[in-house]
Amino acid sequence: MLKIINKILPKKDTGWRSFAVFAIAALLGLGFFLMKEAEVVSYLSDNPQACVNCHNMTPMYNSWNHSSHREWASCNDCHVPQDNIFNSYYFKAKDGLYHASVFTARAEPDVIFMQPASQEVVQNNCVRCHVQQVTQTKYDGFIEGHRDNRTERQCWSCHKEVPHGTVHGMSSVRYNIAPLPTDQEKMVIPEWLEKEMESK
Amino acid sequence: MKNKVLFVVTIIVVFLLGLLASSVINRKNEAKYQFAPQVNIGENEPRNEEWGKNYPKEYQSFLQTADTSFATYQGGSAKRDMLEEDPRFVVLWAGYGFSKDYNQGRGHFYAVEDIQNTLRTGGPESKEDGPMPATCWTCKGPDVPRLMNEKGVAEFYKGTWAENVSEVVNPIGCADCHDPENMKLRITRPALVEAFDAMGKDINKATHQEMRSLVCAQCHVEYYFDKKKPGKEGVPYLTFPWKNGMSVDDMEKYYDDMEFSDWTHKISRAPMLKAQHPGYETFLTGVHADRGVSCADCHMPYKSEGGQKFTDHHLQSPLNNVANSCQVCHREDADKLISNVYDRQKKAAETRVKLEDILVKSHIEAGKAWELGATEEQMKDILMDIRHAQWRWDFSAASHGASFHSPVEIARVLGSGLAEAQEARVKLARLLATLGFNKPVPMPDISTKEKAQEYIGLDMEKLNQQKESFKKNQLPKWLEEARIRESKIGSEKVSMND
Repeated sequence: MLKIINKILPKKDTGWRSFAVFAIAALLGLGFFLMKEAEVVSYLSDNPQACVNCHNMTPMYNSWNHSSHREWASCNDCHVPQDNIFNSYYFKAKDGLYHASVFTARAEPDVIFMQPASQEVVQNNCVRCHVQQVTQTKYDGFIEGHRDNRTERQCWSCHKEVPHGTVHGMSSVRYNIAPLPTDQEKMVIPEWLEKEMESK
Repeated sequence: MKNKVLFVVTIIVVFLLGLLASSVINRKNEAKYQFAPQVNIGENEPRNEEWGKNYPKEYQSFLQTADTSFATYQGGSAKRDMLEEDPRFVVLWAGYGFSKDYNQGRGHFYAVEDIQNTLRTGGPESKEDGPMPATCWTCKGPDVPRLMNEKGVAEFYKGTWAENVSEVVNPIGCADCHDPENMKLRITRPALVEAFDAMGKDINKATHQEMRSLVCAQCHVEYYFDKKKPGKEGVPYLTFPWKNGMSVDDMEKYYDDMEFSDWTHKISRAPMLKAQHPGYETFLTGVHADRGVSCADCHMPYKSEGGQKFTDHHLQSPLNNVANSCQVCHREDADKLISNVYDRQKKAAETRVKLEDILVKSHIEAGKAWELGATEEQMKDILMDIRHAQWRWDFSAASHGASFHSPVEIARVLGSGLAEAQEARVKLARLLATLGFNKPVPMPDISTKEKAQEYIGLDMEKLNQQKESFKKNQLPKWLEEARIRESKIGSEKVSMND
């Protein structure tokens, strides 16, 4: 490593040396700025609000937030593999970089569909939590063909509305404002009332 | 040569990084401008139609609360004369405003209109006149936070009801629950914040999901007017009795400890408590609350119109919208779900009516005992039993949804009420015998509202006349005042579209 750096870096006494230091600093500084603006750190968390960093995800965030899954499953619980931590972050990084490239290139479609790799992850996660419902023999008798459907189809080919509902796309949420991850102010009482309460 | 290449490469990399940074910033800003408002909504903007310009779908669904066509077994949005449906109420509330007039609440849209028209607010002839304080307006609409901000909270409560007829004209709406800046949910009424303080909790720690119930809990709760609040003596200060807890027993103890009573019963002379509508408190004891369901989840579920999704602001009985409320979680047939709800309600009502019967009898028997010369000392225990029994009856009856929200808790409350009321009647039978009266006390004919009101000595003709005169003479005048005041506020357009 050091060898390569030494090879690229200009000799110590030349004027280029100071320029290189300056250029590296500029690169790093700009890089950090970019990371801050893109809220890079938030992507390491499980907080669903990290996903609305990219406002394309507003409809998904809001429809999930109004579903019964909200109480139990965050975005990652379904859309990222949960078998081990390395796989989780590897998949997340891969998916994230793909999303970021599409978003930066302004190539995102109005209605977003899952890639095959994602579909597999989600299917596995459906089964991961609902394993009892989908593998118990008693349900095989209860819902006709449930076993075949489980193995040959995807859960959401029947359970279409889980958990994002049936209406998709950016245009479906015109008046819907998603909480910005940077806007985490907790006060729920207006300022005038806060003042009034304090004065007592 | 190497250095020159590095120089050029660095320039290109920094340039590209800059481009990327600019793109990130641009796309972040896009999110902010994706929503293009039509007008600037000021802090405490009371006019719902003004908010409606920015959020037309939510506003238009809110307007649907004007619909009064849906009635359920014991709720819905239809106006129902509860005194006519159950004339026993008249006797139970003898000496209190509710015996004059008590209707099933209609939608939020009518909050202002209905309080103007009820006999309970009387027929004030001037702004200083009338039986009710300004406190009665607290939950009626977004003009209230505006007035509290202008005057101060205690100063608002201090006024008369009549004084605010020309001030509170917009029914319960946007500003009651939303922050105009970002539409976040917020608490605009001091009583809930104070109740949280009293319990040692910080309301600012509430999660978004809790807020979806807490904005409702600003009003759909048990409350009383505290005239002994330190520093605010004499002001009917709206307070929630939650200091010891929110159960029926905790609140009863709270009132007993401070020897508070809403009124003295006209027949039995018992120091009575009027339960308001402890909807939130009973909801919390139910299984839906335990599973993290909020009020809004059922009463204002998601709705889609022309491919656009939004929260339905037509607040109503979920039974009128089973597909979007119940069936989101329960995969049963709609008819089945409705009959499940009615089953719970009917079973609770069966016990409730039994309790009502015994309560009416105990009031009348206590009246007889006074007539025969009973002493205060002899009556004291009996009257406390009646107070407790009726508090429990009212607690379960006044919040119409309670027997669905928490059927087991309501069964417990009604059961304990029955025990208290029977206790009172056993003691009364013994006392009456001591006073030389050892047979059943004759019961009056209270088979209709009119007969019951006559029995407790209400001059309905006079009350109705006063109200009519108020509606004819004062009301139009004060509403005109309000119209002129509001016409001066104007509207600040920010649209970039025209």
